[in-house]
Amino acid sequence: MSLERTTRRLAAVWLVLVLACVAHNAWHWVLQKRAPVTDMLAMLPRDEQRPLAAQATQALADAGSRRVTVLIGGGEAAQAQRAADAFLQALGDIPARHRVADADSQAWLSLYTPVRAGLLSPQSRERLAQAPAEALADQALAALYQPVGGPRVGAWADDPLNLFGQWLAERGQSSRVRVQDGRLMLTDPEAPERQYALVLIELPGSGFEISAQRALQPRLDAAAQAAEGQGARVIRAGVPLFAAVAAAQAEREIHTIGAGSLIGIVALTLLAFRSLRPRLLVALSMAVGLLVAASVCLLVFGELHLVTLVFGASLLGVAENYGSNYFSARQGLQPQERWAMLARQIPVVSLAMATTVIGYALLALPPFPGLRQIAVFSAVGLVAAFVTVLWWFPLLDGAGRMAPTRFADWLGSRRALWPALKARGLVVLLVVSALVMAAGASRLRFDDDIRQLQSAPPALVAQQREFARLMQAPGLAQFFVVQGRSEQELLAREEALTAQLRGLQIGAQAVSDWLPSQRRQREDAELAARRAADMRPLLAEKLGQPVVAATAVAAELTPEAWLASPASEPVRAQWLGRLGDGVGSVVLLRGAESADTRAALAALRLDGVTWVDKVGEVSTLLGRYRELMSAVLVLGFVLTWAALAWRFGRASWRALAPTVLASALTVALLALGGQVLQLFHILPLLILLGLGVDYGIFLLEQPGRSETRPFLSVTLAAASTLLSFGLLALSGTPALHAFGLTMLIGVFLAWLLTPFFIPSHA
Amino acid sequence: MKRRTLLLSLAPVTAWAAPDLAQSVRERLQQPEWLRGDFTQTKKVPGFAKPLVSTGNFVAARGLGVLWRTVKPFASELRLTQHEIRATQGGQTAMRLDASKEPAVRVINTLMFALLNGDVSGLAGLFELSGSVKGAGWQLVLAPKPGALQQVLKKVELEGDGFVRRIQLFEANGDESLIQLTNPRTDGGAEPGLFQ
Repeated sequence: MSLERTTRRLAAVWLVLVLACVAHNAWHWVLQKRAPVTDMLAMLPRDEQRPLAAQATQALADAGSRRVTVLIGGGEAAQAQRAADAFLQALGDIPARHRVADADSQAWLSLYTPVRAGLLSPQSRERLAQAPAEALADQALAALYQPVGGPRVGAWADDPLNLFGQWLAERGQSSRVRVQDGRLMLTDPEAPERQYALVLIELPGSGFEISAQRALQPRLDAAAQAAEGQGARVIRAGVPLFAAVAAAQAEREIHTIGAGSLIGIVALTLLAFRSLRPRLLVALSMAVGLLVAASVCLLVFGELHLVTLVFGASLLGVAENYGSNYFSARQGLQPQERWAMLARQIPVVSLAMATTVIGYALLALPPFPGLRQIAVFSAVGLVAAFVTVLWWFPLLDGAGRMAPTRFADWLGSRRALWPALKARGLVVLLVVSALVMAAGASRLRFDDDIRQLQSAPPALVAQQREFARLMQAPGLAQFFVVQGRSEQELLAREEALTAQLRGLQIGAQAVSDWLPSQRRQREDAELAARRAADMRPLLAEKLGQPVVAATAVAAELTPEAWLASPASEPVRAQWLGRLGDGVGSVVLLRGAESADTRAALAALRLDGVTWVDKVGEVSTLLGRYRELMSAVLVLGFVLTWAALAWRFGRASWRALAPTVLASALTVALLALGGQVLQLFHILPLLILLGLGVDYGIFLLEQPGRSETRPFLSVTLAAASTLLSFGLLALSGTPALHAFGLTMLIGVFLAWLLTPFFIPSHA
Repeated sequence: MKRRTLLLSLAPVTAWAAPDLAQSVRERLQQPEWLRGDFTQTKKVPGFAKPLVSTGNFVAARGLGVLWRTVKPFASELRLTQHEIRATQGGQTAMRLDASKEPAVRVINTLMFALLNGDVSGLAGLFELSGSVKGAGWQLVLAPKPGALQQVLKKVELEGDGFVRRIQLFEANGDESLIQLTNPRTDGGAEPGLFQ
């Protein structure tokens, strides 16, 4: 009776601890309203993290995450405008921008005209610096005599070379959107007869907020239908659309996969135990594991990353085995017999738990904060779930005898179907496996590109691509962050960067294009005035009359004036304001997608300039995590073997070999099935190590082919795992699909192979 | 076209007769596929005491563009095509606007061709038309419709018979140009190479 008394005492202590964890979690998530960290790059080792880059990325993402842009038309301008009106009417009270007041479209002229003297396009600057006065005079005169020329502001005499007009034209070319008939319009760059009306929709709150999307999606659909009714084409683009699709898919899958999985597991439990209690208690053990793991992680790291939560919770799935084992052993016993059963089971389950915890704890070895969090989370969670089974289950499993059901008996007795393989059988099995592995190895491919994990529907991706072609807007996946101690230093550094990029023939969009540094403005004004003075006598001579000198303007454009004007709106998101202990901005690029270009840009070294390639960095990160996890996996197998040897001695390979074989075969089959392997194929192998070795331990403890309970326990555990994780193979989300498929194949193989390796007598 | 007529009929009195006027002017014009001729341009620019006079010749080809060659006081060429506006002096490009980057280029080219050739339907898309017809002659006053064009042009006056003979441009910046077209020729044949 001493085990019972000890257990009761420990159960009470554990209850206090668990309640403390509940309170801690409630305080952190509910009262403090904290959320898990979501930035993937926070998973990098500390010394590789770049908080400034993260901040800049966040600012840009925030600006874009609430905006949906719609292009309507594809034919004549008038038709596009009619369709846009129909669209806006159907959209109702959702705030949208399409029409532009005359005053707004003039805002930039009123901002820039007073400071025009200091504004030169790079081409103008170069020409002014190099061309002889004669050539400049001829150019000015030709423009004077021609019936039409480039856009010009004010009289010829104020700016004979139309320097300001050229500067404005260059600004205009940074965006393809034009104000036409008081509306935002766009022309297809490859087919000028195709005109589009542009509608900007700005959602309140973040684009990832489900409620805002819920309201938007049907209205957008109705509006698009109204526009299409006018014979127009409708192209939609924006983060909220993708977020909406992802949310809808997740919801659909929770309904189908989630429900299917739940029904399957409940049915299985009812069939095996004729009661839901075992299932509820197993769920309780996992919930306790999660709660305790979250608390410990928060105490150790001060925060919890979303990736930890997702990966850690999956790794916790191994705890299924302990509950399943408890009830399989408990079935058919009188309540008072449970303590003797427990005394027998403790060493077995402890070993099962220890072998898994070893694998998980190894994740803490590499200096990656993400892996360390996952290691702590999963190891602590697993121990907590295990302790719950050991200390709480005996007190909560009911007073009944738990009569064995016919189904449980039948299932357990299936053990007899597996012959214990002798040397020859094993050789055959190994040869066949080796052939499959060799075939798989020839097809093995890895690709860690994060874009592999995108799962947006092709129609939406196609629209986004067409939108990018029409708008020719700069990309947001790669960019430069520029910092300076002062605004002027920042602008000067931007100018140094954009000069380099012009040399590399890469289109850039920078704040300093719209707001040149003070120094640049002064130098340009001086250069223009000097060359105008050189040119004036030549002009007078050729025209046969004096030319009035332009009145000198000393005004300069300041950051304050620029930020305050509506004219700065198109690039204002790139101005980050305070960043670190100075100010910062973002320089966006066009046509920098190719790997070669990105490598060249990453190699640029300029003061205060940082290259950010989020897609590349996250992909590299996933690759490094994949490699580390693979190494951890191998090490895990070795250490597990050592732990098994400690208990089973020379027979220990029998518990380990099936899982090793199952893991290798799984990888081979995935490769043969055309899967390109990445992190989400490797992570489940670590779980498989924990699960599969447990099957080996349970069966090897009571090896007889007539022993039904170990096999019942293992089969129920494997079936539950397949129903929960394995069904994720049906998911449309690539990461979940990869994870699920690996679990499906791996767990099935481990369950199938293990009994072959167990000798028929101890 | 029908819709445009409908819209115009709702406009004020001066435009009320516009469809008839446009029709009458169109009946009087030859409007060949290829038109060549000479010009004398007299430009009054604020800040200059004397007007600026230039002479030269032009080619207007339907669907292709306009070539404007100034001969005096110095040689320069302005070429307006579907894809660009390009000014050259002595074979060197002095100015270039790309239609794929600057959609306004197409509007300017349409306008130039329509002015030289008297393409009334092209002009009606950009201007409110008024004017009168007398015998073989006609004259039109073009007021830009609201929009970007109003920021460049205040008014255009056009006069002619079988050809456009006189164009007077009143620009928003105060420049005034009188372009007299002489010696129109329709027999030169096609020379598409000019607009490549």
